[in-house]
Amino acid sequence: MNIVACVKQVPDTEAQIKVKPDGSGIDEGGIKWVMNPYDEFGVEEALKMKEKFGGDVTIVCVGPARAMETIRTALAMGADKGIHISDPALENADAYTTASALAAAIKGVPYDVILCGQRAIDDDSGQVGSVLAELLGIPQVTVVTKVDVDGQKVKVVRPIEGAQLVIESALPAVITATKGLNEPRYASLPGIMKAKKKPVDVKDAAALGVSADAKAKVGKFIPPPARPPGKIICADDTPEGKAAEVAKLLREEAKVI
Amino acid sequence: MEHIPFSVGNEGRQVFWNAEHFELWLFLFTFVALGIFAYGIYRRWQMWAAMGKPEIRWDDTKERLKLLLRDGFLQIKTFKDPYPGIMHGLIFFGFVVLIFGAAFDATEFHITEPFGIAFLRGWFYLIFSFTMDLFGLAVLLGVLMALHRRYITRPDRLAYRGESDSTADDAIALLLLLGIIVTGFVIESLRIHVTQPSWEVWSFAGYALSKAFVGVPAETAKAMHAWTWWIHTFIVLGFIAYIPYSRLLHMITVPANHFMQNRKPVGTIEPIRDFENAESFGVGQLDEFTWKQIFDADACTKCGRCQDGCPAYLTGKPLSPKKLVQDLKTYWLEKAPAAVMAKKLADEPAKWPYLGKKWPILNTIDFIIDFLLAKTKGMPTGAPAEKALVGEAIELHELWACTNCMYCMENCSASIEHVPKIIAMRQYKVLTEADFAPELQLTYRNMENNSNPWGVGSHLRGDWAKDLGVKTLAEDPNVEYLFYVGCSGSFDDRGKKVSVAFAKILKEAGVSFGILGAEESCCGDSAMRGGNEYLYQTLAQANIEVMNGYGVKKIITTCPHGYNALKKDYPHFGGNYEIYHHTEILADLIAKGKISLKKSMDGVFTYHDSCFLGRYNNIYTQPRTILGAVPGMKLVEMERNLAKSFCCGAGGARMWMEEEGQRINNTRAAQAIEVKADVIAVGCPFCLTMMSDGIKDNKKDEEMKSLDIAEIVWKSMDLEEEPEPVEVCAAPAE
Repeated sequence: MNIVACVKQVPDTEAQIKVKPDGSGIDEGGIKWVMNPYDEFGVEEALKMKEKFGGDVTIVCVGPARAMETIRTALAMGADKGIHISDPALENADAYTTASALAAAIKGVPYDVILCGQRAIDDDSGQVGSVLAELLGIPQVTVVTKVDVDGQKVKVVRPIEGAQLVIESALPAVITATKGLNEPRYASLPGIMKAKKKPVDVKDAAALGVSADAKAKVGKFIPPPARPPGKIICADDTPEGKAAEVAKLLREEAKVI
Repeated sequence: MEHIPFSVGNEGRQVFWNAEHFELWLFLFTFVALGIFAYGIYRRWQMWAAMGKPEIRWDDTKERLKLLLRDGFLQIKTFKDPYPGIMHGLIFFGFVVLIFGAAFDATEFHITEPFGIAFLRGWFYLIFSFTMDLFGLAVLLGVLMALHRRYITRPDRLAYRGESDSTADDAIALLLLLGIIVTGFVIESLRIHVTQPSWEVWSFAGYALSKAFVGVPAETAKAMHAWTWWIHTFIVLGFIAYIPYSRLLHMITVPANHFMQNRKPVGTIEPIRDFENAESFGVGQLDEFTWKQIFDADACTKCGRCQDGCPAYLTGKPLSPKKLVQDLKTYWLEKAPAAVMAKKLADEPAKWPYLGKKWPILNTIDFIIDFLLAKTKGMPTGAPAEKALVGEAIELHELWACTNCMYCMENCSASIEHVPKIIAMRQYKVLTEADFAPELQLTYRNMENNSNPWGVGSHLRGDWAKDLGVKTLAEDPNVEYLFYVGCSGSFDDRGKKVSVAFAKILKEAGVSFGILGAEESCCGDSAMRGGNEYLYQTLAQANIEVMNGYGVKKIITTCPHGYNALKKDYPHFGGNYEIYHHTEILADLIAKGKISLKKSMDGVFTYHDSCFLGRYNNIYTQPRTILGAVPGMKLVEMERNLAKSFCCGAGGARMWMEEEGQRINNTRAAQAIEVKADVIAVGCPFCLTMMSDGIKDNKKDEEMKSLDIAEIVWKSMDLEEEPEPVEVCAAPAE
């Protein structure tokens, strides 16, 4: 069974994000880059499938040169090879362009399952997995917490509000992972060392025949306004009094109810 | 041979009295006993040599001989515990004297007397007789104390969770000792009864016992004497022959282990040097230990000193250092014979033609020996089951329960090194297998991504000092000291208060210092002790690069874990600095009058020794001196203190792991409650957290608190109004 896992490199959740003064992007100085946590669930699931059914796990990533580190992280966890789509022209790629690049790269590898994170924690767009499935013309099952592959079929669990859906799909398919699917493994040291020698193909947009023109462009990055200080409700000591005060403030000050 | 008759003025006794004709037989039996002894040692030697990586532990022989004298002969480590120390001392020193005495007898009888020189005569004989009886009684008392302890009082340290460790071997060893002494006295008293020399009142024990034989005819007594003489001889020879096959072997392995004891600073862990090419890291198989680490296990006498203060064992965890070492020994005993054979075949196949084939005599002897050993020591017979070292012989729960508190090593009377073995096996689980607790994985990811175990953004590291006017080395590198704050002091709310108090003291005392701010990295102690040597080295190198870049020479830490790592482990990677713990600096500032403690601190204080400060770095007095300088304070000691202090439970990466069952910190806090302390003073941020939580869990947070020494000093300096507790719901201003 051949599995493809798509990964993206994103700033660490604790990193201090500073918007460049001209609003053209974020200041990358001092940022610790990590694998998108949702993608990590995807990689872990891919490795589990490999352990169960055999085959190869290929990591595909669109990102600048630094993203190679994230590919190596996935290889250290146990993936077999990587494709790094690195092109300055793709720097401001939107979800569609990214998915097109991934699709073009994936067409060149045999696959039975494609795993993606349900969204990336930096731009939160949540589209790449779905667009990728459309471009490849295969089914998609998204935001899943359980995956069972059975022959040429896959059965997944997708939590929805107050319930969960059990969805069955033919393979190959794109599956997008969310928290709860698994606990990503900690890479072993021999794994880390071996990862340095595993093959990674570096390709640019031209080699894949992908247009780098983004359909959606970011106009400007604006930092969120500073959060105003909190307020302690003191008007009355009783729970009822406090609740009344909260309701009053929500209506009159915050104007949300 | 004739000699001058014994008389008053020429006191003495005839050696081999009533046993003149036994000499030849005695030599024969002695030869056999020594043969059995030598064969046992030979077999054991081969087993020691068969497994493990090489390690040199005999460099600097002169210093090592001193250690052998101190711990082996003078038994300093054994005497740390009064009852067992005295018990063992009576037997050991008793036998040393008795053996010297026997050697005197033999020298006179076989060497000097044939030349007409008899030195065991007159007053020397009388003193000699008195001494021998005295030390004979000492051994007797020691053996009776041992029997009483092992079979009557049965302290928990001679068991594991109520299940006694005692095997037939223990009883045999003690009964042999008892037999030697009792028969020795009986022989002496029968001789005195028959020969009746007036001066034998000096052999006071034998003389007193001879009164029991009053009325026994001389001939009967002589026959009894001859029988007892043989029984005595066989017990002695049996004892000698039994040594290599029994716990008595500790007479050889323990002194050897003292001679080979670690001479590096306490707790130093040899760094892994080759990450690139190795396929396996740490110890996953017995053979990956050094031979000395395995030899350690063979030196263990299961005395249980380690178990007596092990925080994991005492709070019901599966770990007991004694059990761990004994399990290792059993595992080694199962594996070693095959390794001996493999080594022989690999080394010199031509020299051992019989190996692997039937070689009846030796095989039969070995079979009999092994069978008897199995019976006396409760070891399994037959082929050992194939089991893994890590996870089966040593269970993972045991491996991960260790807090690295160093109690076991500090108190081991055989110089066994438990902690490095545990770390080596953890390294295997973490680095090679990447199979370890999820919460520790999260901690390591946090340390990788944000250089602190909590995973708080690393850019916030210096924020605690924002309003204090403390400069970073980037702003001003020309300072005397770097204050290496560490993760707790930078990110933990409680720890930050300690950093603030300490920085204020330094400023007040006019000490020139700076911090690294966001350039500082985690010290890596928890990674290293949790088996993640790779992560630890990454962090250490990041720190060293920055520190060396600023030309840092002196460093102060408020955290003993950083203190220990920077002091002992960073030199491995080119980080050589003078390291001070803040209690050393504070004690010095007080002594020099740079700060004065004015405000009286009422209440009962108790100082909880941090393991990494006390046992690891021998800093016991400074914190107590500082507290002693605080006016009004009543300082009391908990029962477990100084080198026998009880761990808070946070060391060895345990700070970041879930704890099952009774919590170590609650147990320690309860010990402070027992001495009616109002404040638990600490010198370690991990201890601070653990004690604060322990106080809460004991429901004492209304009346008790835990404070760092720096906080106590700053309060007592009385330079700052104590901030009023913020009234969150004060009446609104009209």
